[in-house]
Amino acid sequence: MSAELLVDLERAVGPDHVRVDAPTAWRVAPGAAAEIAEVIRIAGRHGAVVIPVGSAARAPKLRGVERPRLLVATHRLDQVIHLDETSLLCHVQAGVTGLGLEKVLAPRGMSIGDYPPSILGSTIGGLVAVRTPGKSSVRHGFFEDAVVGLSAVLADGRTIHTRLAPRRATGPDLARAMCGSEGTLGFITSVVLRIHHRPETRFLAAFALPTMDAAIAATYLALREEAAPAGLRILDGAEAEHWYGPGVVGADEALIVAATAGPTDLAACDRDLIASAVRAEGGREADTALAETWWKRRHSAEPWPGPPPSFQVTATPSKLRGAYHAVRGAVAAAGASSRCHVSRFDAAGAMLFVTFVAATGHDQVRAAAEAGARAAGGWLLGARARELDPYLTALRAALDPDGIMNPGALTG
Amino acid sequence: MSAPAVDPDRIRKELEAIVGPRRVSLRPVDLDTYARDMWPRLLFARRDGAPPPCLPNAVVWPENAREVATIVRAARSMGVPIIPYGGGSGVCGGVVPVRGGITLDMKRMQALRAVRGDELIADAEAGLSGERFERDLARRGFTFGNFPSSIYCSTVGGWVATRAAGQLSTKYGKVEDRVAGLTVVTGSGEIIDTDGPSRALGGPNWTQLVVGSEGTLGVITSARLRLSPAPQLRVFRGFEVGSVAAGVEAIRRVLQRGLRPAVVRLYDELDTFLNSMKPSGGHDDSERGHAYAPTPLPGEGALPVLPGAPPPDEDGPLRRLLALGRRGTRGLRKDALGAMLSRPRAVNGLVGAVAEKIARKGCRMIIGLEGARIRTEIEAALTFAELERAGAKDMGEEPGRAWLAHRYAVSYRMSPVFRDGAFVDTMEVAASWEQLLDLYHSVRAAIGRHAVVMAHFSHAYADGCSIYFTFAGHADDRAGSERLYDAIWRDGLEAATRVGGTISHHHGVGLLKAPYMFGEHREAMSVLIGLKKTLDPDDIMNPGKLGLGGSGGPA
Repeated sequence: MSAELLVDLERAVGPDHVRVDAPTAWRVAPGAAAEIAEVIRIAGRHGAVVIPVGSAARAPKLRGVERPRLLVATHRLDQVIHLDETSLLCHVQAGVTGLGLEKVLAPRGMSIGDYPPSILGSTIGGLVAVRTPGKSSVRHGFFEDAVVGLSAVLADGRTIHTRLAPRRATGPDLARAMCGSEGTLGFITSVVLRIHHRPETRFLAAFALPTMDAAIAATYLALREEAAPAGLRILDGAEAEHWYGPGVVGADEALIVAATAGPTDLAACDRDLIASAVRAEGGREADTALAETWWKRRHSAEPWPGPPPSFQVTATPSKLRGAYHAVRGAVAAAGASSRCHVSRFDAAGAMLFVTFVAATGHDQVRAAAEAGARAAGGWLLGARARELDPYLTALRAALDPDGIMNPGALTG
Repeated sequence: MSAPAVDPDRIRKELEAIVGPRRVSLRPVDLDTYARDMWPRLLFARRDGAPPPCLPNAVVWPENAREVATIVRAARSMGVPIIPYGGGSGVCGGVVPVRGGITLDMKRMQALRAVRGDELIADAEAGLSGERFERDLARRGFTFGNFPSSIYCSTVGGWVATRAAGQLSTKYGKVEDRVAGLTVVTGSGEIIDTDGPSRALGGPNWTQLVVGSEGTLGVITSARLRLSPAPQLRVFRGFEVGSVAAGVEAIRRVLQRGLRPAVVRLYDELDTFLNSMKPSGGHDDSERGHAYAPTPLPGEGALPVLPGAPPPDEDGPLRRLLALGRRGTRGLRKDALGAMLSRPRAVNGLVGAVAEKIARKGCRMIIGLEGARIRTEIEAALTFAELERAGAKDMGEEPGRAWLAHRYAVSYRMSPVFRDGAFVDTMEVAASWEQLLDLYHSVRAAIGRHAVVMAHFSHAYADGCSIYFTFAGHADDRAGSERLYDAIWRDGLEAATRVGGTISHHHGVGLLKAPYMFGEHREAMSVLIGLKKTLDPDDIMNPGKLGLGGSGGPA
């Protein structure tokens, strides 16, 4: 049976693009959307399961799945299919990375937009298929909002192509069923994304605020005045010291670094709106070089030095301050200290990135931080609306009765 | 379209056990009233005094989500459909009870339950009228930003169920862009909340899978909606461009520079010409005055407070077309409208030529901006400068003011055009900029074979725009009118699909566009059918809509 499966897979994608990963797991790298459809049909015939792995090297864990596994990588689907410069739309295959797309767009004066640069390393298919926070832009919203349409292969091997229009009133947005479904409802093969002209001008600015609360208040004051910065980050005193050395701001103070972009007059307007809000909250301008360092690092290929934050939590606008103090307090009570920055602002709120400092008993500190964040109304990463799980299960059963589409995902 | 054999007494008893006797009706006048919405095709029968093609078995007025859930479970056990009903202002037959059933009038659920200024979120019940919603928000310094011309007769729940759009959508977005969470009674009778930080939650976004479901998946009982601070500044301006193509290009440039005017309207030559004529004669305007929504006073907020002078109505341009005919051929009789509309191709050609010759002005544009004072001022200056660079001619504030004054001028009586044996309707399609002119010419030609047609472009986005066609036709009798009407929609929507546009930008699908849903979605319809099976396993929710089959389960 395994031998037949291998023969079928090799016929579908070519022998060079199938390799045995484990006794009952094969790594398959289709080179076209039609090949993905064929692989899914083969999985159906052989009772195998299809696990999208994007460009990831490691295979995801699968609890309790005994069936043969096809780890389907999309790195060969790396073509920009159509660039519609009139509509500022870009049709890309699922395996194109953010960086790969930027390389195509930049020479033409275009860009994916002002999203956090962390998205550049992921494939577009992965960005769309997995809903995680941190893909937001004040200017463009959540990354999913940039998806105008997509193509995906269903469990029965048929391919859907959602219709392209700036907006529709023809029932629910069916592309949204695929967004965030982690390959359980369909295998995304290509995406049509909204793109943007590169901004005419960009301004950078830094501000010192007397407290974290004042910094958050100033940010929302500016956003209420419709400022739409390309990026904005609030660092608490400890975080500012970590990045910039001592003395930039006091320990209880906070630093705001911001970038504004767009037509020159608007970019200047947004910068001035932020400056004015900062003054209203008792803050002052700080050295612009701080913002330049931030922006340069943010857009350099190498990651920020040091390990990634220990802990991330999202909160709605009114809960940000409470979540910050709760996490900080909980970490201190657990005998550790922390530093934190807040960024990824959008209409639904923002994200806190907390790094534990000098923590022994990391797990206890983390548990305390999570409890504190939850009590303050924050949302931890990977949270799901579990009361809707029965509906997701039913929808999966309706579209994938044999359970071949990434059965281990979205179940925990 | 025949109702299943259900015992009306049993339905009455079951419903009365849930909501009491005063909020259930089986009276013929109520059943007749709730048998339809504002779908023009249903007016042909009404004009002839014929009964509606199908009636609900009962109308019920629930007051909370628990009652709705109990009613849905009762309907499920009786095997009768549920039809949610908001303001009844839909224009696609979305509330027509094709299999009978229980019509839920949601208007007793009209609380604005919370306005969270710190979160910019409002929690509104589905039956809240749009007008009351916006007035309440305005008093507290906020706006939801959805101002459809139906705002006086549509509800928040109806907006969410149909993916509605308002006149200021270019800035605030369509309704689906502003929904943070929903409370829904599913077809299985359970109450679910789709709230939560959509950015943090794994799995598909259920809010977006219910928005636009037109009652086919469940009954939306309340919604968490995103607010904006009330605008501090509003700037309106009229422009003229040489042609539709030049206007489209100018709008595209503005939007793609990252500028977000609230209102963008570009009228094609015929629409521009008819709009430029003085309101016709005025002989019966005073008599009809009371039937209109009030007009905003100068300097008013988003919504007018007091009744003003009677404005021209939505078919005003057509009446002016008639007046033009009168002027051209002195002493033309009352049936001039019918005579003209019976020769649409000639009229489309002739009026187009006449409009061009007389007006020599090209196309009119209305551009409006509103929002926070400082940023709006700068955005307005950039927008106007960009339009002028694109060749548009600044006509000053007056055209903008005139549009602003009359934008809710919707008649609530059967249009006089219908009385005269003709009909008028609108078709709103959309596409990316690359396809937009193709869409305009193809749909215009398709409709123009049957009816007099004009169009304006509104609801612009960085990646595309919607087109709003208004058409008027005429046939000698009801059967002929229905045939003509159906042919217009068939040819128009098929043309839209052919060039890659969508068949609806904001009016929804209902019964009208149900036959074209497969052409719109093709294989993706199976995702919609999967959703239907998931949320409405017994197929009782608003049958026949969205192309989900009429009787025996999802298509």
